[in-house]
Amino acid sequence: MSITREDILQIATLAKLSVDESELEKLTKDMSEMISFADTISAVSTEASDFDNINGLINVMREDVVEESFDRDEILRNAENQDEGYFLVKKRS
Amino acid sequence: MKYELVSGLETHVELSTNTKIFCSCTTEFGGEQNTHCCPICIGLPGTLPKLNEKVVDYAIMAGLATNCEISPISKMDRKNYCYPDLPKAYQISQYDMPLCKNGYIELSNGRKIGITRIHIEEDAGKLIHQRGNTYVDYNRGGVPLIEIVSEPDIRSVEEAREYVEKLQMIMRYIGVSDCKMQEGSLRCDVNISLRPVGQEEFGTRTEIKNMNSFTYMEKAMRYEISRQADLLDSGEAITQETLRYLVEEDRTESMRGKEDANDYRYFREPDLVTIEVSQEKIDYFRSILPELPDPKRHRYVEELGLPETDAAMLVKYRKIAEYFEAACQEVSNPKVVANCIIGQVFRRVENETEKEAFQISIPPQYLRDLVLLLDQGKIKMNLLKSTLEKMLDTGKPASELISESDMGGIDEDTLHQLCSEAIANNPNAVADYLGGKEKALKSLLGHVMKNSRGRADAVEAEKLLIQLANETK
Repeated sequence: MSITREDILQIATLAKLSVDESELEKLTKDMSEMISFADTISAVSTEASDFDNINGLINVMREDVVEESFDRDEILRNAENQDEGYFLVKKRS
Repeated sequence: MKYELVSGLETHVELSTNTKIFCSCTTEFGGEQNTHCCPICIGLPGTLPKLNEKVVDYAIMAGLATNCEISPISKMDRKNYCYPDLPKAYQISQYDMPLCKNGYIELSNGRKIGITRIHIEEDAGKLIHQRGNTYVDYNRGGVPLIEIVSEPDIRSVEEAREYVEKLQMIMRYIGVSDCKMQEGSLRCDVNISLRPVGQEEFGTRTEIKNMNSFTYMEKAMRYEISRQADLLDSGEAITQETLRYLVEEDRTESMRGKEDANDYRYFREPDLVTIEVSQEKIDYFRSILPELPDPKRHRYVEELGLPETDAAMLVKYRKIAEYFEAACQEVSNPKVVANCIIGQVFRRVENETEKEAFQISIPPQYLRDLVLLLDQGKIKMNLLKSTLEKMLDTGKPASELISESDMGGIDEDTLHQLCSEAIANNPNAVADYLGGKEKALKSLLGHVMKNSRGRADAVEAEKLLIQLANETK
């Protein structure tokens, strides 16, 4: 699979990264190499379905019974920013 | 040029399970921010989701009630997108193997709107944008949803509305969702394109996101249709884009174009296992589905002899239909029961919420007993109505409100006397009536009814009043 400059720009947009024009060529080349490396795996012949449900489990479910939620302080403990019981993040479009 | 609308809807319905789709936190609406949360629904690393079996059950019921096939095997997938309302940066949804597919909803004009698929997924959290920051509340994050995707079969704004109303009615009937648009438990994305009348090929479409009221949905659609028609008329192309509707300005606005369309990079959710639905399970859920609004309405018209409009009013809410049916037991004329509910009882349940809950001061048996008195000829229609009002006021049965002496009406002589009195005491009304004012007769009749304490036969009394009034000429 060949990677184009447009692919790199599209991936960068999706990943919310800004890519400099000067980096573009190197990134395109690197990405192509990475993809080719991963393509090695496609050479192995298998049925795709073999990997769909490796452990063969079906219908692992829980009953619809409420358990107590966590304390809010506990929920927010790892938040970088918080205010009035909310997680606080920078507004983005 | 004349254009035809081509529209399809994606409808999100929040399921009324007790717990979220992948954890045991409550799904209760409201609640202090971030108090219905646990490490699973805020997406902390190392946690594992576990599917709520009720979500699958409810989705199967929703599928059966909308004529879908239920997939014997389905699975969950990851839909990747990065936005703060999704703490994991992906939503667990279903991609290529939805739980239900190939259904339809039939509209009153006989057209069938195809349902492509119904899949299960988790809701996102709520964002409040303020002072340059975004405040995030994950109480709603992980609440189970079904997404009902229609075929582009809708051809008018009215059809779109009826389609959503029908979905709402059906989901409420089968008890899988309260479908309250104002609380966001039912919301729609509307796809809109136009094509010249007679053309087969579809035009370029736009999608209006998150309509959460019927009124706004209709207004947004009408705006978007005329916007697209204007563009096409002036030879411009429609841009494929996602729109939001601005309520105050009554217009749509672009959220993102085709170029910024999300690439969701779906793949199988490795943390959840395959869902298998057995034929026994499907049969079971089919067997417990209640009679749905459409067949019920037909039955009311065909078997009970109700007018179409009355039947439609009674079936709109399941509790009202159940009340009606319970009150009809052993009654010879269900129309009387229907009239009592539509006339007297409906006046006491004004809005949608009250109709949905339908909490009435008297049980349906009281209404049935009252109507049976009419059936047996013990009371007349007008006494039935006034007694019903008293019953609704007090919550008491008819037997406590009507005395033996009230039953059986009044004899001819008394009726004649009451009518003569009404004529003698109200010369102005008599003159008005003779002068051509039909309404004046009703006022005279009112006097007779009042003085007979509701026992007089209104039809007989009216005849007599006309005769007596004419005699005064």
